[in-house]
Order: sequence, then structure tokens, then C-alpha cells
Amino acid sequence: MTRTLAVVAFTVIAVTGAQAHHSSAMYNQEKTLTLRGVVTQVRWTSPHVNVSVLADPGRGQAGVAWVLEATSPGNLMRAGWTRTSIKVGDRVSVVVAPLRDGTHGGWCRGVTLVDSGKKLEC
Amino acid sequence: MAYWELTHAKAWSIAVFAALAIACGRPAVTPPNAGTATASLPDWSGIWLPDIEDQFAQIFSNPLPWKPEVAAEVKRLTVAEAAGHPKGLFANCLPEAMPAWMLVSHNALEILFTPGRVTMLGESDGNRLRRIYTDGRSHPADPDPSFHGHSIGRWEGETLVVDTVGVLPQTYIAVSEAVGVPNNGGLHVVERIHRAGADVLLDELAITAPNVLTTTWMTTRRFTRQKGPNADILEGVCLQGSFAEQTDARGDAVFVPVPHTDEGNPVPPPAR
Repeated sequence: MTRTLAVVAFTVIAVTGAQAHHSSAMYNQEKTLTLRGVVTQVRWTSPHVNVSVLADPGRGQAGVAWVLEATSPGNLMRAGWTRTSIKVGDRVSVVVAPLRDGTHGGWCRGVTLVDSGKKLEC
Repeated sequence: MAYWELTHAKAWSIAVFAALAIACGRPAVTPPNAGTATASLPDWSGIWLPDIEDQFAQIFSNPLPWKPEVAAEVKRLTVAEAAGHPKGLFANCLPEAMPAWMLVSHNALEILFTPGRVTMLGESDGNRLRRIYTDGRSHPADPDPSFHGHSIGRWEGETLVVDTVGVLPQTYIAVSEAVGVPNNGGLHVVERIHRAGADVLLDELAITAPNVLTTTWMTTRRFTRQKGPNADILEGVCLQGSFAEQTDARGDAVFVPVPHTDEGNPVPPPAR
């Protein structure tokens, strides 16, 4: 399992195209979906925080790695986050505005930690 | 002694001093005792968060007087953003710079007073820094172009009046993080910055950009104050997000660039 997560984490680093400072217009803010899965990586960096989630498999499909983007560490801190609010291995339910191109990325709108029920706004 | 408390005679002598220096072709030398006593200045402590909703609202309520050929490019960028293909004006991690920092930033700033200077520090991008000289100096005759330009300020009561020139022509006049055009030279920004109530700061900007605007554009940007335990500015280095944190063969903690294609898309790592 650990090895699987490590591979996913490296993949996530590679497919995250949205590290630089940019508009969020590539995300469809008029549409939301909810993902449930396990956090595989948290990148608490400027200008945007990235959280990677291995979504639960469903209907015979294997789990899919999603890259979720959020605002800056400073803005998240003022919304009640710390850099350890979400950790690798946490089970989460995340509401995201998905990428318009249909790939597995989204703008984080809110996170619920499944085990504790704690909710965080992105 | 506060700037506005200078005696008329002193103020006049400073003006003459500056005029003589300019006439000699040199920037004015800081006159003695021209620094601003910080104790008499208004309370701008805490951090200031931009009113992002108002930024977007002004796209429609207060459009810029673009020159026709520039308006066509702005329209093209607007359509591209709406279609989900934003240009990404700041994706290269160069500073948002003047005037875009004041116009479209989504991040907090703080304002520091020291004698003879006001300093603005912005979050999320280590290069966000404005030095506004309030010590009575004038602009250099030929300032070195920079991202934030050369700024001189004076206090009119509790309003800071800032005059900025010497901005690089490449910096954007932006209406969003994805729509904007380079100022293309000759940019001149005059700001009147003051509080409106206890926790609202207004920046009234007059932006003159003769190569892209038909006339001076006036806009007011709102910032709200936050104090308390969560109101610290965090370090933000824009390029940090372009690097992965790994451990090298020696066991050292290192930053490793995230590889990208020529189109800017990351390259998947080799199969493991």
C-alpha cells in the first residue's frame, strides 16, 4: 500500500500543471462534484496549495488520482487551516469544481475529514 | 514632526531645494528632518485583504478606456478566459507589479511605516514590495525601470498620496489574472490611499498609460483589515510550487524542478 501511494504521489507531482500563479478559469466553477478517497500528497506551497487524492474505486473501476488545487497558504490559514490540517493517509470527502477539459483535477471548494467529521473551506 | 506639520517656511525651503536640484539635472537630495514621524500617522496596522468581488464587479461597472486596437486584444483574452483557457498573466511567477498588484491581487498585504518611508509587502509572491519614499525627495530624472517603479509619497492629513513612475513597460494593466495588456511604457500612477472607517482601506488610483489607454483611468480598490492570531503575512515564494521536495543520493533535502514540456505541461516521470 505504501508503495502504491508513493507511486501515486510521484505521478501527481508530474501531472500537476497548475503550480504557477494563474487564473482559476480552467476550472468550471458552475459545476461541483464530490470525491471520496485517500490523501496521497499535500503540497503547502505558494502560490497555490495542492492536495492529491486517490479517489475510491467504483463500479469495477480502479481508483483515480485527482489533483486538487486551492488558494494560497496564507488565505487558507485565515480560513482556519494549518499545513497539517490534512495529512497523507487521511480519508476525505472533497467538493471540487472540476477542470473544464475533463481531466482529473479540480479547484477545492471544501474538505471533510471522514474520520473526525471536521470540515474545512478551501 | 509630522510631514504636514512642517512650517510653511520649512516646506517652502524644501521645495526650493528640490527645484534647484532638479534644475541642476540631479535628483533632489533628501533634505534634513524631512522624514515622517511615524507616531503621528494613522493606524494601518494588521493585514489588508483585497475585495476580490469588487475587483470582478468593476470589470463591468468601470471598464478601462482602452485604445481600439488594445480593446480587441482584451476582448480576445476575455473570451479565452470564459472558455476555460486563461492566458495566465502571472504564471511565470514574475511579480504582479504595478499597477496590477493593486488592481487584481487575491492576496493580503501589510503596510509598514518607518521614518521617511512607507513600505508595502505582499503575500504569496516574494517579490511583492513597494518602497514609497516620504522623505521629500523627488523622482530621479531617469529612473531605472522596475516592476514597481519609483514611488514618492506625501501625507495630506491621513491620506497618503503616492506618485509612481519608472515602471517597466512589460507590467500588466490587468482586469483579472487572465485578462490584461502590458502598459507599453510611459505609465504614471497617482494614488490616494486612506482609511474609510475603522477597517477599510481605499486606494484611489489614477492610471495614465498613453500607449494603451485613451485617457487617465480612475478606479478605487478596497481592502479590509484583519487582525488577530491568523493575521500574519506568510512567506510566499511563487516558484516554490514549481519544485518538488525530495531527498538526493547523499540524503540531503533538495528541491527538484518539476519537468514541463515546451507547452508548459508537466512531463510524467519515467516508469518505476
